[in-house]
Amino acid sequence: MKPFRHINVPGVAEAVDYLNKFPGSSRLIAGGTDLLGVLKDDILPAYPELLINIKAIPGLDYLREDENGLSIGALVKLAFLARSPLVREKYKVLADAARSVGTPQLRNMATVGGNLGQETRCWYYRYPHGIGGRIQCQRKGSGPCLAVGGDNRYHVIMGGKGCFAACPSDLATALAALEGSIKTEGAGGGRIISIGEFFHPLGNALKAGEMIVELQVPPLPAGSRQHWLKYTLREPVDFAVVSVAVLTVLEAGICREARIALGAVAPGPLRALQAEQFLKGKEPIPEVLQEAAVLAVQGAKPLSKNGYKVEIARVLVLRALEASFAGHK
Amino acid sequence: MKKVIKLTVNGMEKELLVDVHSTLLDVLREDLGLKGTKKGCNQGECGACTVLIDGNPVPSCSLLAVKADGKDVLTIEGVAEAGKLHAIQEVFNEKGAIQCGFCTPGMILVTKKLLDDNPNPDEQEIKEAIAGNICRCTGYAQIIEAIMALAGRKQVR
Ligand SMILES: Cc1cc2nc3c(=O)[nH]c(=O)nc-3n(C[C@H](O)[C@H](O)[C@H](O)COP(=O)(O)OP(=O)(O)OC[C@H]3O[C@@H](n4cnc5c(N)ncnc54)[C@H](O)[C@@H]3O)c2cc1C
Ligand code: FES
Ligand code: FES
Repeated sequence: MKPFRHINVPGVAEAVDYLNKFPGSSRLIAGGTDLLGVLKDDILPAYPELLINIKAIPGLDYLREDENGLSIGALVKLAFLARSPLVREKYKVLADAARSVGTPQLRNMATVGGNLGQETRCWYYRYPHGIGGRIQCQRKGSGPCLAVGGDNRYHVIMGGKGCFAACPSDLATALAALEGSIKTEGAGGGRIISIGEFFHPLGNALKAGEMIVELQVPPLPAGSRQHWLKYTLREPVDFAVVSVAVLTVLEAGICREARIALGAVAPGPLRALQAEQFLKGKEPIPEVLQEAAVLAVQGAKPLSKNGYKVEIARVLVLRALEASFAGHK
Repeated sequence: MKKVIKLTVNGMEKELLVDVHSTLLDVLREDLGLKGTKKGCNQGECGACTVLIDGNPVPSCSLLAVKADGKDVLTIEGVAEAGKLHAIQEVFNEKGAIQCGFCTPGMILVTKKLLDDNPNPDEQEIKEAIAGNICRCTGYAQIIEAIMALAGRKQVR
């Protein structure tokens, strides 16, 4: 790794202060599990001069539930989220998504804030500078997206624009099914960004000098059930080829609500609204679920080498719906 | 930029002047000469660099040394006591759970954490505990068998 300066900040205000004092040349570091990879491979056109270590900020690793739902401090570790009895019991997709990330060792360091803030795994974007020079692309600010004419087997099948890299965050998929949002702090004060609006084709909605302080999940619909599925090439230690989180409500055998979130198929987590609408008011019999799964991937525009992801997404949606509805019995 | 950090490594307190951009793995291997901790992928994927920090397994290749300031670090060199191999090391030897040995320090340390928390893990719990440690030689069967033996269970097949 090339040198940088490193400071420990005692609080959110100080972190935001430093970000604003060194715009463009500073970076937050939490667990560092993603950032160190980015720095070792020297993929960024502008290597940061300063790392602002937020990991030691006291009181930012809380998990709280009250009448407004669940609040998760940005520094909560994935290992903790995955093991929490409260999260496993009530917010199952979040616990399962957290548990599916990387290795047990990584989950002991990785934070929820960093999971949402992490950079895409597109192999053109991530191409190491040390091996023949870094690859420029649309996401880095110059040139076209190389995935379009290149090897795009892990790229998006929906929603790409300018850049066709997929959202790598598993927590994002789970949060989308729970209609969660992200609370930030910045120089001009804080704001709340819904998870559906957080990711853009070229990055995320964080402004310069803004940081994530909390993830929020509103109260769950009464009697709802959830299910998480993630398809990977290698079972442990792998990013999703496709992930799916669903939430269902069944009353007297009729579906009252269904939420279907797809991960790794688009720049951010994607709700399959048409399929959700279709399920409402119907009995979740096999034909209905099959139709819903087809609707969930309708309109997909795969690139040259990732048409297979459409089929995987369809099948995962079907299986997740089956499991979630079965959970009502 | 350099910084002075304090680490307790295998029970010994150390004060070290380190580059802030050094990983804990490089400090352990290069500054302290503890070469038992291996550098496999250097990316957080393989588990060869696993050490226990305050008792929890972490990939030392993916942690800046300055972030370990004040922490308690256990490496493979600290597992044997008074020149006598730890029971986990003995059983790994006996069961042929070691071939080239590259994954072994990491495997032993995650096994230690597993058994410290739960002396009787079942096969599934064992597989989950070692899921972050890649072994290219044994095919895992002997490793799981060794840990099962420690856990006082016979492997069911
Ligand atoms: C081998 C390997 C496998 C992985 N597998 C998966 C996987 O399966 N699924 C998955 O989702 N991820 C995976 N990851 C990615 C990532 O390491 C984790 O998701 C982790 O949660 C990142 O958290 P961190 O605290 O280590 O982030 P860091 O590396 O500290 O930060 C990541 C980025 O987010 C920014 N950031 C950190 N905290 C904040 C904050 N509070 N506000 C704003 N920005 C912030 C940082 O500036 C940095 O750019 C994997 C990583 C590796 C190395
Ligand atoms: S060397 Fe650290 S995980 Fe592979
Ligand atoms: S014994 Fe060779 S990698 Fe495990």
